[in-house]
Amino acid sequence: MPKAQPLVVGSPAPCIDIGGRAGSVLSLPPRGARPTVLVFLDEAPPDGRAGRPHLDAIRAELRGLGAMLVVASARGLWTFRPDDEIEVFASPPDVDGRDLERAQHAYGIAPLHEGGGALFVIDEAATIRFAHEFREAEGRALPLLAGALSIAGEALATRPAPSRASFSRREVVVGALVAGLTLAFLDACARRPPPPAPAAPGPGPFSTTVGEADVTFIVNGAPRTVRVDPRVTLLDALRERLGLTGSKKGCDMGQCGACTVLVDGRRINSCLTLAVAVAGATIVTIEGLAQGDTLHPLQTAFVELDAQQCGYCTPGQILSGVALLREGHARTDAEVREQMSGNICRCGAYPHIVAAIQRARKAV
Amino acid sequence: MRPFQYLRPADERAALAAASVEGAALLGGGTCLVDLMKLDVMAPASVVDVTALPYGAVEDTPGGGVRIGALVRNSDLAYHAAIRERYPLLSEALLAGASPQLRNMATVGGNLMQRTRCSYFRDAGVGACNKRHPSSGCAALEGHHRMHAVLGTSLSCIAVHPSDMCVAMTALDAVIHVRGPSGERDIPIVDFHRLPGDRPDLETELGRGEIITHVTLPASPFAAHSRYVKVRDRASYAFALASAAVGLELAGDTIRSARVALGGVGTKPWRSREAEGALVGRAADVTNYRAAAQAALAGAVSRPGNAFKVTLAQRTLVRALELASGRST
Repeated sequence: MPKAQPLVVGSPAPCIDIGGRAGSVLSLPPRGARPTVLVFLDEAPPDGRAGRPHLDAIRAELRGLGAMLVVASARGLWTFRPDDEIEVFASPPDVDGRDLERAQHAYGIAPLHEGGGALFVIDEAATIRFAHEFREAEGRALPLLAGALSIAGEALATRPAPSRASFSRREVVVGALVAGLTLAFLDACARRPPPPAPAAPGPGPFSTTVGEADVTFIVNGAPRTVRVDPRVTLLDALRERLGLTGSKKGCDMGQCGACTVLVDGRRINSCLTLAVAVAGATIVTIEGLAQGDTLHPLQTAFVELDAQQCGYCTPGQILSGVALLREGHARTDAEVREQMSGNICRCGAYPHIVAAIQRARKAV
Repeated sequence: MRPFQYLRPADERAALAAASVEGAALLGGGTCLVDLMKLDVMAPASVVDVTALPYGAVEDTPGGGVRIGALVRNSDLAYHAAIRERYPLLSEALLAGASPQLRNMATVGGNLMQRTRCSYFRDAGVGACNKRHPSSGCAALEGHHRMHAVLGTSLSCIAVHPSDMCVAMTALDAVIHVRGPSGERDIPIVDFHRLPGDRPDLETELGRGEIITHVTLPASPFAAHSRYVKVRDRASYAFALASAAVGLELAGDTIRSARVALGGVGTKPWRSREAEGALVGRAADVTNYRAAAQAALAGAVSRPGNAFKVTLAQRTLVRALELASGRST
């Protein structure tokens, strides 16, 4: 039978009945008001010994998720309902091979004896919400599945009770399942062959952050690790976690420049930068500009020319000015003003700021 | 900010899978998305950081054009030698937008997806915004709409498209290349952004799970005579009240071909074929520039607070044409 087009997310899930022992029939996916994880793979149901740890893990996760798992294999058909023991619906030779083949064809996947398998998340409305075909998971599909469900469970646990009308519990369950499965499978694929251990802190081949995570970056020359929720901005990580309060929170929406820091040598607004997104980067704040007691030439110029009044915007002005000097796009006063337009000074110290930058530019 | 899952796929395949999950939002520079998430205007279930994907190059194409990766930062593009030399219009427009810090962060793909600065859209406490909540109404129609659009509006939405880059790319016949669950496709920029109609929440042609990979610009005959003029409330670091991107191909005093796009006045980057039609084959002089500007704004629908934009946009366009051609009053 020629291989059909693989099903895509959003299509209706085909409903196929598979004949089992003594005229009984199992519907794929099972009819009922519950999200289903449907897996095609070339593995037998886990027996009481080797498969047990994975089985326990899978069941625990399914309980948390409220989803059910159906595994279709030429070596057996089995189901897991969250609250029940594993139910082996049919073992060889009772599995109707033609029905199974028909189901695989309907879902557009390759014959299972070639190794690998496929996984679908189907919601209560029988719509496919996630589809993933895996090729090389032979012999390790169960641990993979346990890991995926665990990530999905964690995602669900860390998500607050849905308060918005747009998120029903079902959507949260399906969303968490999908996110977790996507990650775990792609993570597994990305790790084959295993990459060498990273020399420097940085994001892995496929990084994911659910809840809090450790993020390491180089701040003012030293590696620093902070444990942050993905919502934490670089500005808040610097100020609230690392105690580097020189970078200022002015508008907190990228309109004032008081939060300007250097990331890998470039000036950016740290209030609009997620801390997790700059893992591994080199960051310079106002605290890192001086060499011991020797100020950066621009800091000296700011002091000498009185380039601040209240001082709140000054760290951002100086970091922005340091970057401006490196960029080399400004020579005239007008060009300096234009290139400093991302740093607002409500005291109006602009004339002295421009003068300080010009003095430092000529000195460097 | 609402909780979300942060993902950083290492390759395209993983990114496409993560992007197709319901509730996913793509993160480039974060200058728009993170801002709107803080304001609770956007609340994605997952944030897919695409910055590890190999979309960071600017390369020449065989036909004399250029291919710009979706992850090229605005500042890098603005100062790129090939862009400054062959597409100075684009460089000018990029440098007229935002601040150096934001340009260091913002990506080409993100800029194409930039969302409006309409204050009612950005204020989650305002009930009536058809863009945020379809069928809830539009507070701007009878509210403060000095910054709002006069071209391409509907009774559902008069929010202005904020990008400078997109206006220049519209004048330069850019093509947006996307990749998604059903393969690759190319979308001319004039078709990429949608008019609001009665569904202002649907802003672009980008489908679910699709990722912008790059933008191509065809070879341009306009490099010698092009200009981006932006008029705003302060000298720098502000959104446009009106802007004009123009490219002229001159044969002596005659305009052989022309490209005109307007910003700050349209619900999308506004290509004006009416203005182009009024220029081609005519003499490059101010009389014809004024006629082109009239034609460009002929279809304008203004409201009391933004009626000034009709005249302002015309004058901005005339000025851009004068500067591009070197012929002024």
